[in-house]
Amino acid sequence: MTGYILRRLLSVMVTFFVVSVIIFLMMHSIPGGPFDGGDMPVPEAVRQKLNAQYGLDQPLYVQYGRYMWGVLQFDFGVPFQSPGETVLELLGRAWVPSLVLGGLGVLIGVPLGILLGMAAALKRNSWIDYLASTVATLGLTIPVFVTSMLLILVFSVWLGWLPSSGWGEPERWILPIAAYATIPMATYARYMRSAMLDTLNKPFVTVLRAKGLSERQIVFQHVMRNSSIPLVTVFLPMFIGTATGSIFVEAMFRVPGLGSYFVSSIRTRDYPLEMALMLMLTVMFCLAYLISDILYAWLNPRIRHGGKQE
Amino acid sequence: MKDTQAQPIVEIEDLRVTFPQAEGSVRAVRGVSLALHPGESLGVVGESGSGKSVSWMAVMRLLRAPPAEVEAGRLRLAGIEVMQARREELTELRGRAAAMIFQDPMTAFDPVFTIGHQIIETIRAHRATSKRAARAEALDLLERVEIRNAEAILDSYPHQLSGGMLQRAMIAMALSCRPQVLIADEPTTALDVTVQAQILQLIKDLQDEMGMGLVMITHDLGVVAETVDRVVVMYGGKVMEEAPVVELFEDPRHPYTRALMVSIPGQEGGRRRLTEIPGASPDPSDPPEGCPFHPRCTQADAQCAAEEPPMAVLGPGRRAACWRLT
Repeated sequence: MTGYILRRLLSVMVTFFVVSVIIFLMMHSIPGGPFDGGDMPVPEAVRQKLNAQYGLDQPLYVQYGRYMWGVLQFDFGVPFQSPGETVLELLGRAWVPSLVLGGLGVLIGVPLGILLGMAAALKRNSWIDYLASTVATLGLTIPVFVTSMLLILVFSVWLGWLPSSGWGEPERWILPIAAYATIPMATYARYMRSAMLDTLNKPFVTVLRAKGLSERQIVFQHVMRNSSIPLVTVFLPMFIGTATGSIFVEAMFRVPGLGSYFVSSIRTRDYPLEMALMLMLTVMFCLAYLISDILYAWLNPRIRHGGKQE
Repeated sequence: MKDTQAQPIVEIEDLRVTFPQAEGSVRAVRGVSLALHPGESLGVVGESGSGKSVSWMAVMRLLRAPPAEVEAGRLRLAGIEVMQARREELTELRGRAAAMIFQDPMTAFDPVFTIGHQIIETIRAHRATSKRAARAEALDLLERVEIRNAEAILDSYPHQLSGGMLQRAMIAMALSCRPQVLIADEPTTALDVTVQAQILQLIKDLQDEMGMGLVMITHDLGVVAETVDRVVVMYGGKVMEEAPVVELFEDPRHPYTRALMVSIPGQEGGRRRLTEIPGASPDPSDPPEGCPFHPRCTQADAQCAAEEPPMAVLGPGRRAACWRLT
């Protein structure tokens, strides 16, 4: 197992390097630069001076080398759009609302989805099954910005119960979290329903019944454990996905989170911030999959023992 | 062992099992009556689709309803009417009054728990014992089904064991609550030929040793010849013939039984060719009128095609449903 983890960590490093090169090249292949003006045109001399100051006049491989050398020392540079702080400081500040929004959304959506999926599988073709299927289908097909608008319309405009935007006081959290939670809820309701139906049809369930185990014991100990194995693997990547997944929700509710920086860093050619965001996502996704795979092996003895036969 | 005076452990009277379907219901079992007495061993023989497994799944109430529709004049297990039994009564009966082993041992265990866990949970579902005591019992059971290094097997996962080993473990699990009847549904079909005989011998030995009833469901007449006292031959969801095992082999009376005997390879003075019964099994969603076997029967006449033959008593413990025998 240790060897496996070490090998995976090595592959994470390789992935990190490859992704960094690709992102860097793609980022610079977009025409234009951070000081080209737009709304506020900058004199040519100033532009050249700024480019020289930030090393943007150097060949790409030098720029890349410099940036990565900094990254290895946890120096991600200074964001062009907010030169008063470092990239790390900006991320540390913007990360909090995103984490709260995404984290609570997942923590609320996943258990709800699991319960809904379970109820649907256990009471197949009943009203709860149809409800679960409807919720899952709507949750997955309606874009989250439409859900957000509906929530704002009902709870802010018509009922006037909750503020429609902002962050800060917890009451402002409710609508964005609810909007965001629909995604993990729908995903898990669907996965759980099909995983449980699949397990319930396995021959070993009949054997468990024939042994005289109670239905509760069969469902909660055996069927749940077997059905949850595939669900574990999608959990962490989904959790990490909150970093990007909440872009729309954050935009709809004006949450000062990370989401807006993904867009603005590309639009303003904010190279240091863009690189930092993408590299961070890369590492987190890699680690999330690694941890999921370890968890999967731990839950599933067939993987854990790696095909060892008596 | 056999005790016909006592109350039967299993009583089946006019059992019918139907699976409703969009076009025509599948009538898997069409009026089966049977009894099993304590300590007795019964073979249930038939081809696939004869309703042999379904009948015993119905006795255990293991058929899911829907889709299955089960009706019976009487369906009793250890004196309890299972059709009216509450859930808790059923979980008490299962495993204890009657235990069941199944055809494919490779899929019979939950893959994420050890063999030991699954035997121990069976013991503890029926008796309040400590985990430690249950584990000792499980170890003992594995040794009784002739598993070597039982201690290691107890902590193994199902995927680590061979089919023969798993079938032994399944038998151990079935015996863990000392059932009054062991229902073995094609217990050797999925196993290597070399292992089959060992498993059958094991089941037979354990039955004698524990004095329990045995129901051996199989399509293989060879299997019943070696393991049971009495045989019921089923076809098209009905009982065709019932007889003590020796009499059935020496003097099969029903044309279907005779045809089956002829089709056993190696019978009839070492004939080399395989003989088959011409025609196909009846379509369970559209069974023929009259005797279910008449379309394939060499002795059938107009009456066989029109009217269902009554069950004729041919002697002590012998009966058959055929117009030729009335």
